[in-house]
Amino acid sequence: MSTSTPNRVIAPARPASSRAGRHDDVFRRQLARLGWGLSSPALILIAAVTIFPICYAIAMSVSNVSATGNGFSLSGLTGSNYSIMVHAAQWRYALFFTVFYTVVTVAVEVAIGTAIALVLERLTVGRGWMMALLLIPWSMITVINAQLWGYIYNPTYGALDNIFSHLGLGTPVFLGTRVPAIAALMVADIWKTTPFVAIIVLAGLVMIPRDYYEAAEVDGANGWTTFWRITFPQLRPTIALAVLFRVLQAFGLFDLPFVLTSGGPGYSTQPLAILAYNAMFRDLDFGPGAAVATSTALLVVIGSLLFLKVFRSQAGSEA
Amino acid sequence: MRNRSRHGWHRVFNGVNISAFLVFLFIVIPLYWMIASAFKTPANVGASPPQYFPHPFSVKNFDVAFSQNTFGRYILNSVIVAVVATALVLVLGTLAGYALGRLPMRGKFTVLVILLMISVFPEIAVVVPLYALLRDIGWLNSYQALIIPYTAFYLPFAIWILRNYFLAIPREMEESARIDGANPLRTIWSIILPQAWPGLFTAGIFTFTACWTEFLMALSFNVANNYRTIPVGVALFGSEFTVPYGTLFAASVVAVVPIAVLVFIFRRSVVSGLTAGAVKG
Repeated sequence: MSTSTPNRVIAPARPASSRAGRHDDVFRRQLARLGWGLSSPALILIAAVTIFPICYAIAMSVSNVSATGNGFSLSGLTGSNYSIMVHAAQWRYALFFTVFYTVVTVAVEVAIGTAIALVLERLTVGRGWMMALLLIPWSMITVINAQLWGYIYNPTYGALDNIFSHLGLGTPVFLGTRVPAIAALMVADIWKTTPFVAIIVLAGLVMIPRDYYEAAEVDGANGWTTFWRITFPQLRPTIALAVLFRVLQAFGLFDLPFVLTSGGPGYSTQPLAILAYNAMFRDLDFGPGAAVATSTALLVVIGSLLFLKVFRSQAGSEA
Repeated sequence: MRNRSRHGWHRVFNGVNISAFLVFLFIVIPLYWMIASAFKTPANVGASPPQYFPHPFSVKNFDVAFSQNTFGRYILNSVIVAVVATALVLVLGTLAGYALGRLPMRGKFTVLVILLMISVFPEIAVVVPLYALLRDIGWLNSYQALIIPYTAFYLPFAIWILRNYFLAIPREMEESARIDGANPLRTIWSIILPQAWPGLFTAGIFTFTACWTEFLMALSFNVANNYRTIPVGVALFGSEFTVPYGTLFAASVVAVVPIAVLVFIFRRSVVSGLTAGAVKG
């Protein structure tokens, strides 16, 4: 891990003590050594278990990987894994699906989550209970959530079909065709994650100074204007962070479609992570699979760096 | 403090209450459906039209899940993996979080940024190399095959949470301990830790929940029946054509309720952990 970047700025600005400067320097060096000593068990473990595989996956993605009796072996550099990937219709669809899914679910979750937060902020009875209730979907095992929705969507005894037929809407097979299957997947995701967004937004909401609202009220602003002129601008950093968390999560989407739709029908609900998983663990196409996995990770890292940069410069210009 | 708009209060109050009730229903109905179905008779789980209330009330599904199937074992496996990984994360994370928060280490911000990057890194990118590594050392289908990766993957987030808590503790206390000649581990143990309990709690609950719900690595490394965790057991239960939902939900209720109760009791620290990033930037 490269940790040697000289970064003197970080030396804490301690008040000059009565001690002599040189003595202080020696003391500080001792403390720094102690710091590395204390953090090394954690840092070494993290490096061994995460950084090694990350490098290995990158190497796999640019090598000829052949499946052997009990695994695979690497031989020679090649660009063919990436070219296979780029030319595969499945990959292009998975990329489109992952991006589309991420954009739609995050947009809906942020909209509903903000609405829920606004409601909870004004709620006078049972607020603590509602907060606790919001945490339950967040803490639920995604695989269980997927099975639960699979039961709700079941075409022969599912509750949703029963409700639809009572409403005179027939009995659709939700997971059988592409568009309803994607919508069904999104609903299950929105149920599980909107509460998480609501909790984060609520935390931002209670930080907004009261006098802003009082000033707006004096000026005779109505609720709608107050929201767009005061609440929303003040909430922007919080919402931005919630969006970042959710985008990163949604981009690695795996558990929910793996159980609920197995990526189907066909590969219409197959995100990048399932494509990579199937390529490597099912079809033993290790090279192209590693290319998909590595490029997905790269997109996530570049995306979050860009986001942080834009976010920082925006926050800076507004401050 | 919250009724700042006394203006038209009654109207707002009603609207708020109705909306909150809708939110309540939105969350509770699917949960109710899972719990209610677990208590139906196995035949009634597949009744069409569906039974909206379990009648007759039955615990047969629980019997099937825990005495005819090995869901008890899956829960035990999940508990072992999650408890050991959480303990390791807290010990290593406290030491590292203290060092990175309090000690004048050159380059620590680089380390912190790298840790942040690792904590958002998609698991899929590392699963196959880790699989190969674990296979080569003969650790596939074992507890350590999950404990070690979970510890490493959830440490970065825990270090960040703990560091934020350590930063908030007044510096004078540890300086006076140092002047009194206490060694660093002693300082952490008797000065820092007692004040950082909420942080340890938050980091602990987060790590535990993450381990409890993790699926991709558990599916890739531990598919042998004896080492399956709950998510893997729940995902792979049944055949491709029939899913025995009654059994599944009985097991799920047992897997979900303890965590829900835990989160419910410690909701304050969970909320503060969830929002630490959002509020502190």
